[in-house]
Amino acid sequence: MTISKTQRGRAAAAVSLAAALALTATACGDDGSDSGTEGSGKGEITFWDNNGGPRTAIWTEIIKDFEKKNPNIEVKYVPIPIADVQSKYDTAIAGGGLPDVGGVSTAYLANMVSQEALEPINKRLEKSPLKGQLVEGMVQSVRAAAGRGDDLYSMPTSANNGALWYRTDLFEAAKLEAPTTWPKFYEAADKLTDAKDNKFGYTIRGGAGSIAQALDAAYGQSGITSFWDGEKTTLNDPKNVEALEKYAALFKKTTPAADLNNDFTKMVAQWDTGTIGMLSHNLGSYQDHLKALGEEKFAGIPAPIGEGGTRVQVSNPVDGLGLFRSSKNKNAAWKFIEFAASHESNSKWNKAAGAIPANTEAAKDPWINETEPTALAAKALTDGSTKIVDLPYYLPDWNNISKADNEPEFQKLLLGKVTAKAFLDKMADELNAANKEWQELGNG
Amino acid sequence: MTAALVEKNNAAQPAARHSAPPPFSSRRTKRERAFDDVPRWQIYLPLGVYLLFTLIPFYWMLLFAVRPAGSTSLVPWPMTGDHFSKVWNERSFAVFFQNSMLVGVATLITTTLVALAGGYALARFDFKIKGGFMLALLCSQFIPGALMLVPLFEIFKNLQMINSLWSVVIAETVFQLPLSIILISGFIKNVPVSLEEAAWVDGCSRFKAFRTVVLPLLRPGLIAVGSFAFVHSWNHFLFALMFLSEQDKQTIPVGLNTLIGADSVDLGALAAGGVIAAVPVVIVFAFIQKWLITGFSAGAVKG
Repeated sequence: MTISKTQRGRAAAAVSLAAALALTATACGDDGSDSGTEGSGKGEITFWDNNGGPRTAIWTEIIKDFEKKNPNIEVKYVPIPIADVQSKYDTAIAGGGLPDVGGVSTAYLANMVSQEALEPINKRLEKSPLKGQLVEGMVQSVRAAAGRGDDLYSMPTSANNGALWYRTDLFEAAKLEAPTTWPKFYEAADKLTDAKDNKFGYTIRGGAGSIAQALDAAYGQSGITSFWDGEKTTLNDPKNVEALEKYAALFKKTTPAADLNNDFTKMVAQWDTGTIGMLSHNLGSYQDHLKALGEEKFAGIPAPIGEGGTRVQVSNPVDGLGLFRSSKNKNAAWKFIEFAASHESNSKWNKAAGAIPANTEAAKDPWINETEPTALAAKALTDGSTKIVDLPYYLPDWNNISKADNEPEFQKLLLGKVTAKAFLDKMADELNAANKEWQELGNG
Repeated sequence: MTAALVEKNNAAQPAARHSAPPPFSSRRTKRERAFDDVPRWQIYLPLGVYLLFTLIPFYWMLLFAVRPAGSTSLVPWPMTGDHFSKVWNERSFAVFFQNSMLVGVATLITTTLVALAGGYALARFDFKIKGGFMLALLCSQFIPGALMLVPLFEIFKNLQMINSLWSVVIAETVFQLPLSIILISGFIKNVPVSLEEAAWVDGCSRFKAFRTVVLPLLRPGLIAVGSFAFVHSWNHFLFALMFLSEQDKQTIPVGLNTLIGADSVDLGALAAGGVIAAVPVVIVFAFIQKWLITGFSAGAVKG
């Protein structure tokens, strides 16, 4: 049976095609290029939480407080899963639909600034009661991460810090001292390992997020305190090469073989449920350890001290709140940012998150000292005992270089398929090229 | 008359199966005899190992979902419902579940209806660009959803459909239609045109002939396409994440992802969320597996 197409069918097809093309052609909207308006300071604003889920409860509480104080403003809270927040922002920047306020980490701040999605907040901060009430180190980190000179593109709210978590029960049983120095760390990793009995001294991060941890170990041991030496990175300095070689050699010797694919989820779960002596992860996993092990069985200390007697660690991303350029109600949005970064809210938020507050008054609150790992981390960051190597978050290529391009290479290093030197040389070449390109665009 | 004929044919089939033994049944083939000679363990051992690998992750998920936080027990005892209570009540999974169900059922209905129309056209009509159209349908399978994200986002925004569950339903339907149309057209080709022609002779319109004669014979195909559409939209994450920016509009996959924080994961809650997400899919497959296998095998070989 054959039925040929009709004129009516042709016409319908043409109309459908034209409609689809017209619809696509007229597409435009409040994407990153829209300059927005100051607005009345009343009405509804939208807030995207960049770590939606774990922080939903505390944000809900802060929003409730804010709305009580500002009855004319309603905050619409949207939790975004942390793993997908960048793609969510990127899609909204390209297609429209950005919020008024959003959680922004320095890890991807440069990407958003380069797309002109965020508004500098310097002038607003000058007139704000928050002026002079923010931890200077965090402000500097946010400035550096944006890579636009003195312009500040997000209100810092908190910072995390790397910690070395260790099982106090296992250390006591093996009569080992706390791993406060790198030699003690290696000694403990070795002595606590009994692979036949499924006991290991350390768990290494071989999967997603491995690079920052590896660089932390390299710089921590080498004692090099700057990421750049002129226009070249210090990444492949022979001291870093030697340090990374030693660190990577722990794989399978004092760590489980499954560590090759460890992201933080697997790594933390493995440490919380297994018999593993030490774990390098930030303060954020404290509550997980507490639930799994109880207070008595573990402790968290800042990264080990190197042979030079100084603790060196790479910078951790600073979290903050960005004001979006496309916002139609910047006055109300800024009020919310100010409120969230104020003493009371900032203290409340960081206490719930187990992070270090950006508000200087909040950083003095008693709860900080109630949690030993947080207190030690805060002390390490503020007493001058720790040198921070600032990672180049401002390079637009940083995320690609430190994730997609080199995480598989780090796995090869763990498997012995490439040397530490080859691994660091490759990454250093990529970073030098990215830095050169960035400078050629008039930055830096 | 035609309807009676179809009913008669359907009624006659089981009887025929009982009365006339299928050819070759009395004489076993060489291959069948060789199969009988294989020791049972050579069949059951690989199957058992495969089953073990398949079931262990499910067991692990159930274990984490029902054992108390901090427990390292390898058996789910003592049990707790705390994790389920937490995700269902505190983490809004009750709302996510409802949204996912709405999206899944709506996608199932729209995909099946449009695929029926498209599949019928491909199976029963000849037109100049039919070959090219089929090729385009096949090629569209190679386009990842992420590639179309921004254009779709802009279209839905202009239609003021961002934050509407319909945006996800439409996007899911669009991406599932090519395969569904191809599958359905294969099933329709399987139904002899003469059955429809007989209905036309009896005075049925084309639509009535399709509804009363062809449609009842497409049940395996409809179940295959419908279940595939439902399960795919139930599990799909990207469109829901991008098009829905309100907490009370989000779906289960997005909700599951919010259980993984930047620095910490509540494994018990995540496992409980995983169980909640898996249950409808498992139930769907448990009920339709018979038709699903028939459906895919029947439609797969028809071009």
